[in-house]
Amino acid sequence: MISRVADHCFWLGRYLERAESTARVLSVTRNLALDAGLTAAQCWLPVVIVAGEEARFGSRFGPEAAEDGDRVQAYLTWDQETGVSIQRSVAAARDNARSIREVVSLETWEALNELHLWLGSQAGWSEYGEDRHAFYRRVRQAVQGIHGIARGTMLHDDALHFVELGVRLERAGQTARILDVHHHAIRRITDASAAPETGLWLSLLRACSGFEPYMKRCQGRIDREAVVRFLVLEAEFPRSVRFCIHSAWERLASIRPPEAEGLPGARSVARLAELVRWVDGCGALLEGERLHELLTHVVDETASICDWIGRELLGYEVAAQSQSQPSPP
Amino acid sequence: MAPSDPLFADYRALPGTFDEMFGPDGAPRPAFRLAAEALAARGRSAFAAAQALAERALMNSGVTFSVYSDDRGSEKIFPFCLVPRVISAQDWAHLERGLAQRVTALEAFLADCYGEQRIFREGTIPRDLVLGSKNFFPQLAGVKPPGGVRIHIAGIDLIRDPAGVFQVLEDNLRTPSGVSYVLENRLLSKRVLPEVLDRARVQQVDHYPARLGDALRSVSPVEPGATTAVVLTPGPFNSAYFEHSFLARTMGLELVQAADLYVERDRVFARTTRGPRPVHVVYRRTDELFLDPEVFRPDSLLGVRGILRAWARGNVTLANAPGNGVADDKAVYPFVPDIVRFYLSEEPILAQVPTWVCAREEDKRFVVEHLGELVVKAVDEAGGYGMLMGPQSSAEQREDFRRRIEAEPRKYIAQRRVELSTCPTWDGAASRVVPRRVDLRPYVVNSRSGPWVLPGGLTRVALREGSYVVNSSQGGGSKDTWVQKPEAA
Repeated sequence: MISRVADHCFWLGRYLERAESTARVLSVTRNLALDAGLTAAQCWLPVVIVAGEEARFGSRFGPEAAEDGDRVQAYLTWDQETGVSIQRSVAAARDNARSIREVVSLETWEALNELHLWLGSQAGWSEYGEDRHAFYRRVRQAVQGIHGIARGTMLHDDALHFVELGVRLERAGQTARILDVHHHAIRRITDASAAPETGLWLSLLRACSGFEPYMKRCQGRIDREAVVRFLVLEAEFPRSVRFCIHSAWERLASIRPPEAEGLPGARSVARLAELVRWVDGCGALLEGERLHELLTHVVDETASICDWIGRELLGYEVAAQSQSQPSPP
Repeated sequence: MAPSDPLFADYRALPGTFDEMFGPDGAPRPAFRLAAEALAARGRSAFAAAQALAERALMNSGVTFSVYSDDRGSEKIFPFCLVPRVISAQDWAHLERGLAQRVTALEAFLADCYGEQRIFREGTIPRDLVLGSKNFFPQLAGVKPPGGVRIHIAGIDLIRDPAGVFQVLEDNLRTPSGVSYVLENRLLSKRVLPEVLDRARVQQVDHYPARLGDALRSVSPVEPGATTAVVLTPGPFNSAYFEHSFLARTMGLELVQAADLYVERDRVFARTTRGPRPVHVVYRRTDELFLDPEVFRPDSLLGVRGILRAWARGNVTLANAPGNGVADDKAVYPFVPDIVRFYLSEEPILAQVPTWVCAREEDKRFVVEHLGELVVKAVDEAGGYGMLMGPQSSAEQREDFRRRIEAEPRKYIAQRRVELSTCPTWDGAASRVVPRRVDLRPYVVNSRSGPWVLPGGLTRVALREGSYVVNSSQGGGSKDTWVQKPEAA
C-alpha cells in the first residue's frame, strides 16, 4: 500500500489506543481517590507522569496542581495544547482517518467522526460535568466499538494490519509506563505507611483492564510479584507487555514477511523479532529494582522500532514534506 | 389524510421566471404531480424535522468541504435543501442527446487543436483566438493520449430560461467537481423521503463510480484487467477533498498525493510499503498548472516531476487530459455551435446563451453601444473577476470597460443577463417553501466507446432571496436531482 496511507493507518491506531487508555486510567484513578485512603497527589501525580506531562503540567499550574484531581482530569480530557488529552487524541485519530477515508470503511469512519463530534458538543461536555463515570465509559466503549467495526467491515489486509500494529505498539508502551510509574509509587507509599496494598494493586490491574483476567489466572491471590508477572508476561492477557509485543510481531510479519528478500522493512522486522525474544526471556528482571530497567527497555525499544517502521515502511525519508507526526510521550 | 400545514400552501413562483415544479396556473406541472403530492402530504412541521435529520446525517457522516480561511482546516457541510429538483423523462432525453453531442464535438475540437488544426484552415473559428488563449499549451501539440480520449469527465453547466428552454452556460472540461454530492444527496433522499422518492419513479445514480472506473480502465495504456488506476488529490486541505476520497473509496482505487508518486524512465510509480508499484491511469484532481513542475509551475509542491513526459510517451493516462482548458475557454464558448456543425455535420441539439464576441468588429460595436444592458466578461478571468454587470453599473465603470474593450477587443465577450429558473426551496428560518434560483450540472463520462450521461446531476440553488449566485462559497446550496424514468420502462 501507499506508504503515506500506511502512516495514517498506523497513527490512527496509536491515537485511538491513547484516547482509550487515558479514559480508563482517569476513570480508575477517580475511583481509587474516593476510598483508598491516599492523598490526592498520591493518586493523581502518577497519572500525570504516565501521560508524560509532568513538566508541562507543573509549569502551567504550579507544583501543587496534581493535588487537584479535577484539574488533572480536565487537563487530560480537554486540554488543546497537550497531544495526549482525550479530545486531542480523538481529533488526531480522526484527522488521520479523514486523510484516508477511502481506506477505512465508511462505518468505521462514521463511528469515529461521531465520537469526535460528540466530544466537541454540548452533550459531551454536559456528560463530563454530570456523570463523569459515564463519560469515560462512553469514550472507552466508542473506541472499542471503532476497533470492532473496523475488524468487521474492512478487508483484513495491510491497512488494518497497520492500524493494529499501531495499537499494539502503543499499548505495549502504555502498559509498561503505567506499571513502571505505579509500581514505583505503590512501593513508596507502602514503605512509608500501612496503607492497604491490595487495593492499590487492584486499581493498577483495573487501569490496564486486567482485573477480571488476573482473578481468573491467579484465583484471588494478590501480591506484588504476581501482579507484575501478570502484566509483563501473561501470554494470554491482551494488554500484557508480552502479548502486545507478540501480536505486534504477528501484524508486522503479515505486512512484511520476515523471510522475504528485497522488500523494505528488514531492520524493523529484525528489531521487533529481537524484542520478542528478549521479552520472552526477561523473567529474571521482574525482581525488585530491576523491574524499572526492564520496563524502560521496553518503552525505549518500542519507540525505536516505531522509528524504524517510519523510515522503512511509512516513507518518512522519501516523502518531499515530512509526513511524520509528533512522537508519543 | 391531508396535513393541517400543507407544504406548498402559499408558494408563489416569481413573475418572469420558469418554475421547475409549478406551472403558471399554480398547479404542479403534470409530470411532477405525484412527486408534489407526496411531498405536500408531509406538511411543514414534518418536513422541517426531515430537513433537520438530513443536515445532522451530513455532519455525522462527514460530508463536508474544507474552509481555507479557518484555522486547522475546519469543515462545513454544503447546505442541502431536501425539496428535490425533478426533471421529466422527456426533458432528460433531450438533454442526454444534446450533452453527448456537445462532448463528442468538443473532444474532436481538442484533438484537432493539438493535432492537424483543420478547423482554422476552414475559417470556422479564428486561429488567434484559440492559439492565443492562455489555456492552450503549445508544448502539448502532437500528443495523442492513450485511448484517444481527452475529456474523460465533463461537467456542463445548464440554466433554464423563462420559456423553460435549457441553455448551456459553461463547459467544465478540466476538473469538474460536485458529483459526490449528487450521490450523497440521493442517499439522504432515500433515508428521509423514501415514500416520495418511491412514487416519483426516479432513475438511479449510484452506479456512477463503477461507470467511471470502467471508463478510466478502458483507456489505460495496458490491459484493463492489469491496470492500476489511482485518484490524485492535492490533499486534505483542498476544498473538494471529500469528493476525492469519496471517488477513490467508491471506485476501490488508491487515493494518492503528489509525493506518493514519482517518474522513472518515463513511467509512473507509487511508493508503497512493498516498494515501487507501476501506475497506469491517474484520475487527477490537481489543477494542470500544478501537475508537473517540469512543464508548468516550477514552484508547485502538488506536482509529480516528469508525469507529462510519461503521458506524452503514452505510458500513463491522465484524466482529464492536460490542455483541455482551451475548449472550455470563455472566448471559445460562443463558437461551440459552429464546432458541433464542423466536426459532426449536425445541428446543435442544446441551446446556449447568445454571446457577442468583441473580436468581431460588428459585435464589438454593438457591445460598446449597449454596455448598460449587457454583462461583459473578460475571457481569461473566472469567478466573477473582470466582469461588468451592465444594468447595475455606473457611467464611470461603463466608460472604463469601453476603453478596455477598444484597447483589447479579443479579451472580451458579452451576454444579456440570463434569468435562472426557480425551484421550491426550504427556508429554515421562515419554516416554509420559497422560490429560489437553480442551475444544473450534469456529468458526462467519456470512454473508448463514447459518452455516457449520468441520469441526474448537481442542482445548485441560490439560497438567498433574490440571489443569482449558486456557488457554495457565496450562499449556495444543493438539491437532489430526480430524473424520472421513461414511461415505458
